[in-house]
Amino acid sequence: MTDSPRRLVTPESGGGGGRAEASPAVAVQRLTKIFPVPLHPARGIVAVKDLNLRIEAGEVFGLLGPNGSGKSTTLKMILGLVSPTRGRTEIFGRDSRLVESREAVGFLPENPYFYKYLSGEETLRFFGRLCGLRGARLKERINELLELVGLTRARKRRLGTYSKGMLQRIGLAQALIHDPRLVVLDEPTAGVDPAGSREIRDLILDLKRRGITVLLSSHLLAQAQEICDRVGILADGVLVREGHLRELIAIENQTELVIADASPQLVSEIESVINRSNAKLIERRKSTTTLERLFLEATKNDKRMTKSE
Amino acid sequence: MVVIPDSCFVIPSSFDIRASSFIGLMETRYRAFSISRILAITLNTLTELTRLRVFYVLLVFALLLIGSSIFMAQFSFQQEFQILKDVSLGAISIFTSLLAIVATARLLPQDIEDRTVYTILAKPVPRFEYVLGKITGVLLLLAISTLVMSAAFLAVLYLREQAVIHATLRQMVGAPPEQLADALREIRSSALNIDIFPGIIIIYLKACLLAALTLFVSTFATTNIFTIVVMVFIYFIGHLQATAREYWLQEHSSGLLTRVFLAIVALLFPDLQAFNLVDDIVAGTAISLALFIKTALLGIFYTTMYTLLAAFVFYGKEL
Ligand SMILES: Nc1ncnc2c1ncn2[C@@H]1O[C@H](COP(=O)(O)OP(=O)(O)OP(=O)(O)O)[C@@H](O)[C@H]1O
Ligand SMILES: [Mg+2]
Repeated sequence: MTDSPRRLVTPESGGGGGRAEASPAVAVQRLTKIFPVPLHPARGIVAVKDLNLRIEAGEVFGLLGPNGSGKSTTLKMILGLVSPTRGRTEIFGRDSRLVESREAVGFLPENPYFYKYLSGEETLRFFGRLCGLRGARLKERINELLELVGLTRARKRRLGTYSKGMLQRIGLAQALIHDPRLVVLDEPTAGVDPAGSREIRDLILDLKRRGITVLLSSHLLAQAQEICDRVGILADGVLVREGHLRELIAIENQTELVIADASPQLVSEIESVINRSNAKLIERRKSTTTLERLFLEATKNDKRMTKSE
Repeated sequence: MVVIPDSCFVIPSSFDIRASSFIGLMETRYRAFSISRILAITLNTLTELTRLRVFYVLLVFALLLIGSSIFMAQFSFQQEFQILKDVSLGAISIFTSLLAIVATARLLPQDIEDRTVYTILAKPVPRFEYVLGKITGVLLLLAISTLVMSAAFLAVLYLREQAVIHATLRQMVGAPPEQLADALREIRSSALNIDIFPGIIIIYLKACLLAALTLFVSTFATTNIFTIVVMVFIYFIGHLQATAREYWLQEHSSGLLTRVFLAIVALLFPDLQAFNLVDDIVAGTAISLALFIKTALLGIFYTTMYTLLAAFVFYGKEL
């Protein structure tokens, strides 16, 4: 089935998917979902309306939108968990309603919740078995993934004692257990601290580097901006914008310069050069660090102290 | 101070290389039906129920057994064995039924509520296999419970039998050997009755039927309480309906309409009294092989049918 050695896709081949595959990773056509309202059959909640989407293999696609805009519903329909009212969805050319379309897909639901009574290790073993893994191969894979998400030390603990961020991590490990070609993540960084969410970002970039298609939903725009090749913006179930991130957000006629150690004279010289040309200086300000960077630096120091105790 | 490093994703630089050993991972062809997937769900269900400590029910059974044997010391041995069998088999029947209903009622609704079902069905797992795995997990739990309770019961019965034999031997020192042999035979025959074993199998099948029916009810119930209440209701109706039917047929002519009505009632409320062979067994009536096979097949038929109905409803269910 997977005869194409996808790991040979090089980072240079970029977002468009280096090796052209016959069918896109995800194809969504005229997808509509209307949830019935009990006792009011005529009135339904339109969660998704006439959605068309095409995600090529190897892309990182971000589905953005405010709360209740239909992101989760769309992802669930793509995975065949919710049946569409109209329209169809395909994964690698196979209809989402077929069970085998899920063979090469890993899914992290929003606010994942697993069996509390299982330990992290048992959880991964369970999901691995569902994907047809077993024996030494499964064991090796479990160790690898626990290591990857940083839960090796908590592997024997029951999930009932895990924190929210740890649950998110085990959810991510579970989604990757069978080395899927498409990973669907519903708000992967919800409830994860800044360091953790940066690690998840790195992980997603790593998946991308290995040629794995990632479809994620988020309403954290800054984060999506960092990792997505393409984004779609949903509002009330309608796809209002869609395209390559760079093109969507670039302001064509503006350029930013960030200068370190510039003397006041240099700055005024640059300004006068600009004034003499027909360009226009729009803004001039001191660079600031981001709150995120500040937070990360501060907590990193903390950790070093506790470790040296 | 213990620092759990839950905030350090280690992406080893060797990850790509190591992962490449899994290139063949997905080459295993997808199978539309997989015993190992079902087994994974079955064992998981069994683990869940075990860790929820449903087996505590068995402790209650043990206490009941001990309690009743203390109470019985005052009776003759025939009465004692009779009561012991009556109480134990009755308790096995009630406890397995109760376990079947309570353990099954929350299985699917809990998974749906916690959204664990999303994670499972997002894997290449057909919904039918999921339902099948869940029910076999319960059936396995019921089998273990039935075995444990039966073993405890038989052990107590054996111990009491030995005690009575010893007492009799002591009393009859010097009696003629034929008389002694007669007395011992009498004790043995009133203790263990070989018909007990098919009786226990039928009790198990009744519990299986109830579990499958509970699973079916839980696929459209809105709350667990609803499922349990409905099942308790069905349990009593199921036990009473045979009597009611006889009464009804005596009063009314058995026209077509009546028969159809009774058939529908029998489908919704299985005749549980038919699974109550142990009463006869304890009373000393031997059950025929034909009756045993007929009842067993009825149990298997009902269990299969309710499981299929549950799978069918679950298949079309919006999760
Ligand atoms: N099972 C359901 N029954 C009825 N309505 C539903 C159901 N699931 C979702 N909806 C409705 O569909 C709409 C879209 O919901 P959805 O969960 O897809 O939003 P979302 O974009 O994921 O939001 P969030 O960012 O809060 O996760 C909402 O109006 C929601 O109320
Ligand atoms: Mg959502």
